[in-house]
Amino acid sequence: MSDARILSAEDCEALLARAHAFARGGGDTTIGVSSWWQGELRWARNRVALASDRRNIGVTVTRTVRGGHPGYVSTNQIDDVSLEAAVRAAERLSRLEARMGRGLGYFPPQPAYERPESTIWSDATPGLTTERSGEVARALIAPAEAKGLLSAGYLEVRVAAQALLGTDFPELRAGKHAFWHHPYVRWTQAYCSTTVRDPSGMASGWAGASSYDWARIDPAALAQRAVEKCLASRNPVALEPGRYTVILEPQAVADILEVLVGSFTSREFPEAGIDGPWRLGPDEALQLWRTKLGLRVVDERVTISHDLAHPDLGILTEPHEYPGPVTWIDQGVLTALAHQLPTAIQRLKGHHSLRGASGYRMSGGTSSVEEMIRTTKRGLLVTRFSNIRLLDGVSLLSTGLTRDGLWLVENGQITKAVKNFRFTESPLFVLNAIEQLGEPVRVFRPMRGEGEPLSPAIVPPVKARDFSFTSTIDAI
Amino acid sequence: MSFSRRDLLKAGLTATALMAAPRPLLARFGRRWEPAPPIQDPRVKDLALRALEAARAAGAAYADVRLTHTRSRSFLTRVADVRDGEQVVVGARALVDGYWGFASSPVWDVEEMGRLGREAVHQAKVHALGPARAVELAPVPAVRDGHWVMPVAIDPLEVSPLEIADYLEGLRLFVSRFPDFIPLAPSYSCQVQEKAFASSEGSYCTQRVYRSEGDVKLQLKQNGQPVYDGALDTLTPAGVGWELFKGQPIREQVRRLMEDMKDEWKLPEKPVAVGRYDTVCDAWTVARLLDQTLGRATELDRALGYEANAGGTSYLTEPLAMVGSYQAGAPTLTVTANRAEPGGAATVAWDDEGVKPDEFALVRDGILVDFQTTRESAGWLKAHYAKTGAPLRSHGCAAAPSALEAPLTHTPNLTLAPGRGTRDVDELIAGMGTGLAVKGGALEMDFQGQSGLGRGRVFEVKRGKQVARVVGAGFLFRANELWKRLAALGGPAGRRRYGLGSSKGEPAQHTYHSVTAPPAAFEQLTVIDVLRKA
Repeated sequence: MSDARILSAEDCEALLARAHAFARGGGDTTIGVSSWWQGELRWARNRVALASDRRNIGVTVTRTVRGGHPGYVSTNQIDDVSLEAAVRAAERLSRLEARMGRGLGYFPPQPAYERPESTIWSDATPGLTTERSGEVARALIAPAEAKGLLSAGYLEVRVAAQALLGTDFPELRAGKHAFWHHPYVRWTQAYCSTTVRDPSGMASGWAGASSYDWARIDPAALAQRAVEKCLASRNPVALEPGRYTVILEPQAVADILEVLVGSFTSREFPEAGIDGPWRLGPDEALQLWRTKLGLRVVDERVTISHDLAHPDLGILTEPHEYPGPVTWIDQGVLTALAHQLPTAIQRLKGHHSLRGASGYRMSGGTSSVEEMIRTTKRGLLVTRFSNIRLLDGVSLLSTGLTRDGLWLVENGQITKAVKNFRFTESPLFVLNAIEQLGEPVRVFRPMRGEGEPLSPAIVPPVKARDFSFTSTIDAI
Repeated sequence: MSFSRRDLLKAGLTATALMAAPRPLLARFGRRWEPAPPIQDPRVKDLALRALEAARAAGAAYADVRLTHTRSRSFLTRVADVRDGEQVVVGARALVDGYWGFASSPVWDVEEMGRLGREAVHQAKVHALGPARAVELAPVPAVRDGHWVMPVAIDPLEVSPLEIADYLEGLRLFVSRFPDFIPLAPSYSCQVQEKAFASSEGSYCTQRVYRSEGDVKLQLKQNGQPVYDGALDTLTPAGVGWELFKGQPIREQVRRLMEDMKDEWKLPEKPVAVGRYDTVCDAWTVARLLDQTLGRATELDRALGYEANAGGTSYLTEPLAMVGSYQAGAPTLTVTANRAEPGGAATVAWDDEGVKPDEFALVRDGILVDFQTTRESAGWLKAHYAKTGAPLRSHGCAAAPSALEAPLTHTPNLTLAPGRGTRDVDELIAGMGTGLAVKGGALEMDFQGQSGLGRGRVFEVKRGKQVARVVGAGFLFRANELWKRLAALGGPAGRRRYGLGSSKGEPAQHTYHSVTAPPAAFEQLTVIDVLRKA
C-alpha cells in the first residue's frame, strides 16, 4: 500500500477470491472492495492552512446463510485474519433473522453485462504532485493578496478504485459480467473552488470547477473570477424582497436544478401512488396511478439529458445500467424516469436499470450573459445559490440563499451590488418562466459523500422572470 | 416478517456468547501481523512514537499522531437488520515554519508510521517555501501515559445484538397494541472508538469513547391513515452505552407522547396569519437556536474566515475586537461550553491535541466573552487573555471523526444557563398569555449563523393555553436580535439535553455534541407563511 496509492485490479481480484473462500456452509456472498487516495489543500486568509495526503480501504461483506437474512459487515483491513473474521461476523448476523423466500422468477436469466464505456480517468489528476500543488496554491492566492483581499479555498485530487463480486443466483449467471459482478474500475476526480472576501467582511466572490481531469481546471482563471466578483460586490444595497427578473449564471442554474434532477429517481414511486412531482393522479378505470411521463412540464426550449459516453461528463458507470444516452426532459416534455432492474425485467421488456441523472446536460440558447444584461430593464444577476432546502416535494418549492455576488441590473447595465436574499421558488417555475438561454458550460458540483464519484453538470445561463425573493439576509 | 420473538430468544441462548465476541483486527509490531491489542497496550505507544520520530527527523517543529480503532453497530430499518463496521486508521500531523501537513492511512505498522511521519512533514514543507506564516501553539501540560474509559453503564458491544433486537422489537409490538397508533421500526446505533494520541511535546494518552443514539417514531392514525407524526426526544446522540434504552422508562415516555400527540391533533387547524408574535419555544427548539447561531458563530476559526469557502463565516465579524464587549443577547443570556461534561456527545478526557477540556463561558450576562478554540486558535486571542488576566490555553475543541481526518475546531457540548424560577414550557406558555408556541423546531440558517428561518409544530396561544395548530407557519429571525428579545427562560427542571450533529471543513467532517437548554420566551418574532412566494 505504501507505494501504490490505490489497490490494483490484481490486488482486488486476489482479495475477492480470498474473501469468498472464507464463506462456509453455502448461501450467498457478495463482497465489495474499494480504495482511494487523495491529496488535499485548504487555504484561508491568504495562507495554506493544511496540506494532506490521505488514503483508505473499504471492504463490505454481505453474507446470506441458507434461510437467513443478509448480514452486513464492513472493515478497512485486508489481511486474511480480518477478512475471515468479517465473513464469520456477517454469517452470525445473517442467522439473526430468517428471511422470506424469494422466487427465481424475480430475476430471469440475464445477458452478459459489460460496464458501459465512459471517460473517467486522467493521469493529470494524480499527476498533480504535492510540489506542484504548492505552486498552484500560490497562483490561486496571489491575485487576491495583491488587491488586499482575503482568499480561502479548497483543492482536491483523488484517485479511487472499486470491484464487487457476488455469488447470488449462480443458476442465472449468463456471462462473467452479470449484474452481481462489477469488474474492477478506477477513476479520478479533481475539485478546486475559492472564496475571496474583502477584509471588512462586506464583500465576497466565489469561483469553482470540478472534473475528473485536473488538466481541465484553470486555477488562475478561478482566482481571477473570484477576485473580480469580490471587488464588484463592495458596498451592497438592500432591496425590497419581491419578484424579480433574474439572470442566473450557469452555477446558479445548476444549484437550483439540483432538486429537479434529483427527482428523476424513480418511476416506481409515482406509479405506486407515492406523492411527488411526477405523479399525475389515479386512473379510476384502469385502477392504477398515472405519471406525468409524456406531458409537457417545462418550457419547450429545455432539454435535459445525460450521455455516459460524453467526454466532458465523466460518469462512473454501473455494469447493468442502460448504456445509451437518456433524455429526461425532451423539449419540455418529461420523457424518462429512473427505474430499477426488476422493474425493467418485469414490466419494461428490458434488462437494464436506469439511474437518475448523475451527470447531465441542459440545452441552451444563443444569448450571452452580457446580452441578457443588456436587454434587462430591471433585474438581478445571480452568481450562485447556497443552503437550498426542499419545502414541498410535489411542487419542488425550495428555499435557499443567494451567495457570493448579487447585482442589480437597470436599463441594460449592472448598477449596484445587492445584499443577499432568501428565495422561495421552484425550479419547475423557473423553467416555465424562461426569457433567454445562453451557451451551456461545465460547472462545479460538490461531492455528494465520501467515495461517491463526481457527477458533473453542463448548464446554460438562464434569464427568467418573476423569481420570488422572500426576505433579505445580512450574511455576506 | 417471518421471525418471532421466540425465534430470537431461542437463537439467543446458543449464539449470545459468540455474537458478542469482538473481531480481531491486525497490527504489526514486529515481523508478524497479530490482532490489534486494546488501545492502552504499550506497543500501540511504540507505533505512535515511530511516527513522531520520523516527523522530527524530517524537520517538524511540532508533530502529533493519532491512532483510532472504531467499531460501530446499527440496528436499521428492521429490528434484526444489524450492520457492523470496523475501522483502524492512523494519522500524523506536522508543523513546519507555521505550515501544517497531514498524512493518514489504514495501516498500523512500523514502516507505515515512518512513512506517515515523513509524508506529513513533506506536505508542510512544500508550502513553507512560500510566504511566512506564524503559528503559536497555546501551552498545554504534557499528559504522561494517561488512560481513560468513558464511564457507561452497559457497553453496547458487550450485549448480544439479539438482546437489543429483541428489545426494539418488543417496543414496536408495544406501540402496535394501541389501536390509534402505527409504530415505525425503532432503531439504535452505537459507536465505540478507542484512540491514542502522542505529541512531540511528550504527551501520550489513550481513551475509549462511546456514542449511542436511537429513534422511536410513531404515527397517529385515523380511518387507517397516518395523520400526525411523533417521536421520542430522549434518544438523540449521547456519550452513553445501551443504557440509552435499557432501564429507561421508554414505555412510559411513549405513553406520554401518545397523549401529547392526541391532544395536539385534537386542536383545530388554523392558517397562519403573518405578523409579529410573542413566542415560546420548547427546549428542543431553543437548543437548536443556540446551536445554529452562537454555537456556530463562536467557532474562532470560522469567525476568522477559515471556513469561508465551505459552510461560511460568522456574524461575529470582528471576533478579536468584539470579544469582551459585544452584546450578544439579553443580560439573562449565559452560554457555557464543556467537553468534559459527563454523558455529552462531544465528551472526551483529552481532545485531539491532547488538551484536557475545561468548562468555559462563551457568553456571560449577555456579553460575548470567549470563543471555541484549539491550541493554534487560542493563540489568536493572546492579547485578549492577557488583558483579562485569563490564562492562555486551548479550550479543547480540536476534534475529528477519526484519525483519518486532521482535527478542526468542532462545536463542544454547549449549555444555556436556565432562568431563576422553576417554570417549564407549559408555565412559560401560561405566563405569555397570547402569542405562539413552537415545538420540535428545525432551522434553515444562512452562512454566517445570523439570519434564520425556523419551522416546527406551531400553536396559537390564547389566555395561556394552546388553542389551535397553525399550519404552514415559520418564523424569521436575526441571531443578534433574537437573543436580545429573550424575555424569559425556563427553570433548571425544564432543561433538556440533546445530541446534535454538525458538519465542517473540506472535505466535510461530521461530528456530534450535546446542547442543554431550557425552554424560552422571545418577544415579537416575525412569523411568515413558509410556502408563500413573494
